[in-house]
Amino acid sequence: MGDPHPEIHAKLHATDLTRTFGRPPRVVDALGPLDLTVAPGEFVCLVGPSGCGKSTLLRIAAGLLRPSTGTLEIRTVSARPAAMIFQDYGIYDWKTVRANVRFGLDIQRVPRREANARADEWLARMGLADFAHAYPATLSGGMRQRVAIARALAVEPELLLMDEPFAALDAQLRMILQDELLEITQALRTTTLFITHSLEEAIVLGDRVLVMSARPGRIIAEHHPPFPRPRTGDIRSDPEFTSLKRELWELLRKEAAPA
Amino acid sequence: MTTVAPEKSGAVLIRRPGPQELHPARTHRRRRALELSLAVAVPLLLILLWQLAATQAWIDDRVYPAPSTILADGWDRAAAGDLWPDVWATLKRVLAGYAIGTAAGYALGLLMGSLSLVRAALEPLLDALYVVPKLALLPIFLNMFGLGEGPQVALVAATVFFFVWISTMSAVMSIPSGHRDAGRVFGASPWQMFRHVLLPASLPSVLVGARIAAGVAVLVIVASEQIAATNGLGHLIFDSRALFQNDVMFVGIVCVAVLGVVFSELVRILGRLLTPWAPRDRGRGQS
Repeated sequence: MGDPHPEIHAKLHATDLTRTFGRPPRVVDALGPLDLTVAPGEFVCLVGPSGCGKSTLLRIAAGLLRPSTGTLEIRTVSARPAAMIFQDYGIYDWKTVRANVRFGLDIQRVPRREANARADEWLARMGLADFAHAYPATLSGGMRQRVAIARALAVEPELLLMDEPFAALDAQLRMILQDELLEITQALRTTTLFITHSLEEAIVLGDRVLVMSARPGRIIAEHHPPFPRPRTGDIRSDPEFTSLKRELWELLRKEAAPA
Repeated sequence: MTTVAPEKSGAVLIRRPGPQELHPARTHRRRRALELSLAVAVPLLLILLWQLAATQAWIDDRVYPAPSTILADGWDRAAAGDLWPDVWATLKRVLAGYAIGTAAGYALGLLMGSLSLVRAALEPLLDALYVVPKLALLPIFLNMFGLGEGPQVALVAATVFFFVWISTMSAVMSIPSGHRDAGRVFGASPWQMFRHVLLPASLPSVLVGARIAAGVAVLVIVASEQIAATNGLGHLIFDSRALFQNDVMFVGIVCVAVLGVVFSELVRILGRLLTPWAPRDRGRGQS
């Protein structure tokens, strides 16, 4: 990080980014001003209190929402470089598991034969091969979220945006999926923005953990979990893990508790 | 929410504020002005076209009188007091039938929604009656109540009843069990359960049904007045056609349209006052 101008090589670069909602006199400042630079292949976790604008930032990056002021630049040649994984409702009940995973490829008009092959490859990788022709309603929550991950990664995105993807899962399943995601992203090195409420999740997964303030969200702290890659879920029992988690919690508690 | 069109410069994709973000108040104002002017301009344009077609004799103005003729004629009849007895007759029947049908439909819907035995007993029967066009019941009502207001009111009530019954029953059945459980754990009596849980939880969807029923009530009364009544707007429309008074016929049609819109808007406004917690404009697309 000794680079004096990291934004030149950055994958993603936000300058003075803000977003407000509503019209005068009832305007809500949701985000920023926020400056952020993400290097190619970096896994950045954003933690912050509810309603601090984390999702707003992600939606701007995804192109679902425009910023109110400032700019967000993504270094890419593609018009739609991002894939997004939502907390819920992301996958379609009326498509089979395989058709769900193939959805992004279908939209990009990838030929059916190739799309099926790529979808099947991801299904196998996520341990879903036996459920290819099942409908999502018959799957458990963890399985459904694996489908969502497979769907996002099947298009080989340059930028992966994850909005509290494991928030609806129980604690054990959450850890299992964190470990799976860790393995996949360390193999792929896809640039990722990951939103979570869980400090533990952020430290396990992130190259960098950014702590955001209460609304309007600004970045108030930045930490680099000191665990070398490739890492595994075992770092959860490392004493350094616990002390970093405590440090972040001290910061976050001030923001999360209403004044 | 629409997606934002990607904007490219070289090998960098830039997300930046659009006109909506840079001038939010202005964009909103323009949008509202455009929507409002479209809402006024499109009907106005069609009426002007009709006027033009009638005055230019593209259409036979004895069959399709010009809007100006209809307006003038309607004004004269309203001023002379010829119009009000018919409007009033129709309004009375609609309101009476609507009140009876809504009350009966709501009560039965509530009962059938909460008690599965009542539902098992009555649902097949009501489902069968539901598909019978209500106008086909008019002869039965005529036999039952004789000539006069009875059959007209009964027909409106029967029509309204089915809409309100179905929407109430499905609303009560779709109340999440957690809502009932919370009341039950506190030991709520049936009346308390109704007052605190079932009534408010079902009200938004019931009102959607009631709003749709308001429009259909006007629709059905006009049809039945054409068949078996000596006054009312439906009678006016049919009677004036028989007397080759096509302009009077159109005055009647316009009155029916205004009556229907005003009635169903009133029900909607009432619904909004009764359910301040519900999202606005529910059921607008469903009616």
